[in-house]
Amino acid sequence: MKKTKIKTSEGAKRMGEEPRLIDTDVHNSLNDPKELLPFLPKVWHQQYIESGFEIGGKPFSSVGLVRKDAIPPNGGRPASDPEFLIKHHIDPYNIDYAILTGTPYMNAISLMYDPDYGNALAIAINDWMVEKWLKVDPRYKGSIHVNFSDPVAAVKEIDRMASHPNMVQVIMCSAARLPFGQRYYHSIYEAAERNGLPVAVHPGAEGLGPTHAPTPAGYPTRFMEWENILPLNFMGHINSLVCEGVFEKFPNLKFVAIEGGISWLPHLMWRMDKNYKALRDTVPWLKKLPSQYIKEHVYLTTQPIEEPSDPKHLVQIFEMTGAEDIVMFSSDYAHWDNDNPKMALAPFPRKMKEKIAAKNAMQLYRLYEKVPEGGGVL
Amino acid sequence: MGVEPRLIDTDVHNSMADPKELLPFLPKVWHQQWLEGGVGTEGAKTFTSIGLYRKDADPAEGVKPASDPHFLLEHHIKNNQIDYAILTGTPVMNAISLVYDPDYGSVLARALNDWTVEHWLKVSPHYKGSIHVNVSDPEAAVKEINRMASHPDMVQIIMSSASRLPLGQRFYHPIYEAAERNGLPVAIHPGNEGLGPTPPPTPAGYPTRFMEWENILPLNFMGQVNSLVCEGVFEKFPHLKFVAVEGGISWLPHLMWRMDKNYKALRDTVPWLKRLPSEYIKDHIYLTTQPIEEPADPQHLVQIFQMCGAENMVMFSSDYPHYDNDNPKLTLAAFPKEMKEKIFAKNAVKLYGLDKKVKDVERV
Amino acid sequence: MKKYEVANIKEIHNKKPKIVEVKGIEIGIYLVDGEYYAWRNYCPHAAAPVCQGVVCGTRLPSMVYNYEYGRDQEILRCPWHGWEFDLKTGQHLVDPNVRLRNFPIEQDGEKLYVFLNR
Repeated sequence: MKKTKIKTSEGAKRMGEEPRLIDTDVHNSLNDPKELLPFLPKVWHQQYIESGFEIGGKPFSSVGLVRKDAIPPNGGRPASDPEFLIKHHIDPYNIDYAILTGTPYMNAISLMYDPDYGNALAIAINDWMVEKWLKVDPRYKGSIHVNFSDPVAAVKEIDRMASHPNMVQVIMCSAARLPFGQRYYHSIYEAAERNGLPVAVHPGAEGLGPTHAPTPAGYPTRFMEWENILPLNFMGHINSLVCEGVFEKFPNLKFVAIEGGISWLPHLMWRMDKNYKALRDTVPWLKKLPSQYIKEHVYLTTQPIEEPSDPKHLVQIFEMTGAEDIVMFSSDYAHWDNDNPKMALAPFPRKMKEKIAAKNAMQLYRLYEKVPEGGGVL
Repeated sequence: MGVEPRLIDTDVHNSMADPKELLPFLPKVWHQQWLEGGVGTEGAKTFTSIGLYRKDADPAEGVKPASDPHFLLEHHIKNNQIDYAILTGTPVMNAISLVYDPDYGSVLARALNDWTVEHWLKVSPHYKGSIHVNVSDPEAAVKEINRMASHPDMVQIIMSSASRLPLGQRFYHPIYEAAERNGLPVAIHPGNEGLGPTPPPTPAGYPTRFMEWENILPLNFMGQVNSLVCEGVFEKFPHLKFVAVEGGISWLPHLMWRMDKNYKALRDTVPWLKRLPSEYIKDHIYLTTQPIEEPADPQHLVQIFQMCGAENMVMFSSDYPHYDNDNPKLTLAAFPKEMKEKIFAKNAVKLYGLDKKVKDVERV
Repeated sequence: MKKYEVANIKEIHNKKPKIVEVKGIEIGIYLVDGEYYAWRNYCPHAAAPVCQGVVCGTRLPSMVYNYEYGRDQEILRCPWHGWEFDLKTGQHLVDPNVRLRNFPIEQDGEKLYVFLNR
């Protein structure tokens, strides 16, 4: 399986400039929960108004979850005003495209106890995304929310939304009842692959709703401990996706692990490869080293970028694992732990930086050209 | 004076040839349960086509590997010129903390410790023992630590890495207090993740097949280390050492960097921590080599060690006689000499106080 | 060093700084424990506008599972990552090598002045 390559003929037609910076995780949010009502059937209004996206609490953070300086002038919630977000984040950093990922609560609609409610929310969020955000600026690209607790409905929703030109991926929460490699989810991957859409997962609901403890050791006590250990879930899912042969069954599927950390890659790759050398016969559908599937199918995002006291060490980690071809810049705007593009990529050599800042995302999402001045399809 | 040990194997799985071996050490009232149910936590572990043991380690036709102390001495210790072997029992023995009935778990702990002394430690001074405890009853565990700690050849406490609660939590603190007071490190060993009353082996749920399960065991170790540091266990027990046996190594840079970064923002939520989380790991946690990670370019593993100071925390282990055991002659071949010396012996010499070779001890 | 008038003392309150711009540099003027301080509105960690963070106290270093609140209104907490800075010294509470940039400040009657090398 090759990486999506730009065909020469396609390339020749393109006149515009290549993007230089793509932000793959921007959390557009609702200012007022009522914003969603026009997109939600009346029958769900009471439940939505009274319970919203509620799936239980996680450990308390003294810093809060959003940046204190990102409140729009109208006093609303950070990242709830598409015009202000452009002024506050997109323009100042010269971001060519922002992949809108909704909020972690939106992503977590798959964890509602009632899958019918989850389905209604998915549809409403997607329509809201198109109306309130994608129509505002061509630099915004959307993620299709799906409710994986009802794969049939999820497939229907992917098919409904995939033709929208500014929807560039499917998004779901990383917290789950079953590991993502298992056959329960395969129809979702079939639909994503058929529509040429990557599937992205985002953390934030680990241990909430009907999911498992966020670590195999149990529930962390405080927010820092919880936040430290979120990547375990990503490692568990990627291990499952590879071992279950998802990328053999869906050879064109790409999986985006947003905000799940990066530097665990060497460990996981080496351990999987070593075990595969002994236990290949138990996963006879795998034809390559497990690390090879990761390199070809899994993308990761930078934020929260690891910050070793010697920044060279992070570059070494990238060199060991080929991470420079699978990692994409993300700011996580407007969350408390967001990264500044000017600083997060500073440790990397130029070529690596260019790939991480834009080239990898450009190929994955087929965003080959910058939006022309005053142009673009809305 | 003599020279210091050159090779210490920190994970050797001494086992029983026959469950009946334990009966003399077990009160009569528990005999039926032991003979009919064993430890009873095995549950539905994923199947492996290779089996769990080396196929060349049977002491005799049909006899369980590593169940004969004399054979093990010849087959493993002498052949590999191992100065000391830290006996860790089997993963099933380590699982006594996970049996539903804590009273049963506690008598098994006592019986296993007496069996270790009688059947193994008396056979050879090359053998050093681990004290089994049942952490689901901390009071009983403390009693057992106090009972066994004075035995000169017991060098650490051992428990299962699979647990119902993260190991940093206050429920376990009396055990750490007893370990610290007796100068014994606390070791944890994997193999029971997801079994008995423990949470699933990954936050994503249950792996499907053995390879997937085996790939992902280190998550539990990362969760435990994170909990131990954040809960301030090493501030409360500043002399406590913790040994993460067979839990992988190369995840250290990631975990250290992530913990340090978060600490810089969230220090006020763990005001008992006075240093970077990575510093607690470096000062208090030991890890063992097997199954050593094998990147295509072995220098990458050396780089990982250099990034996180692992050369001072990692100790050689063979995992004899498990299928995935490491050969001391090949493991770490690419490592610089000084690093290798620390990993093969010096770190374990320091941790367990085994600063003399057996022949020099005997001379004294 | 040049002297620039930046505020009237009536504009500066505990908890709420005045953020001024002098020669292209944003500076937060703080009143802490009766003293005035001028800190650059730039977090050395990730270049966030640190002076938009809350002024608060913190949990003092303590024994395991003990909680003691203190240093009320002496801590500036960055609005992005929540790094805590000592408003009297500019030091990050975790890493003593990380500190906010300070400008000399002078009070003359009701007026406050900062000194800059430009």
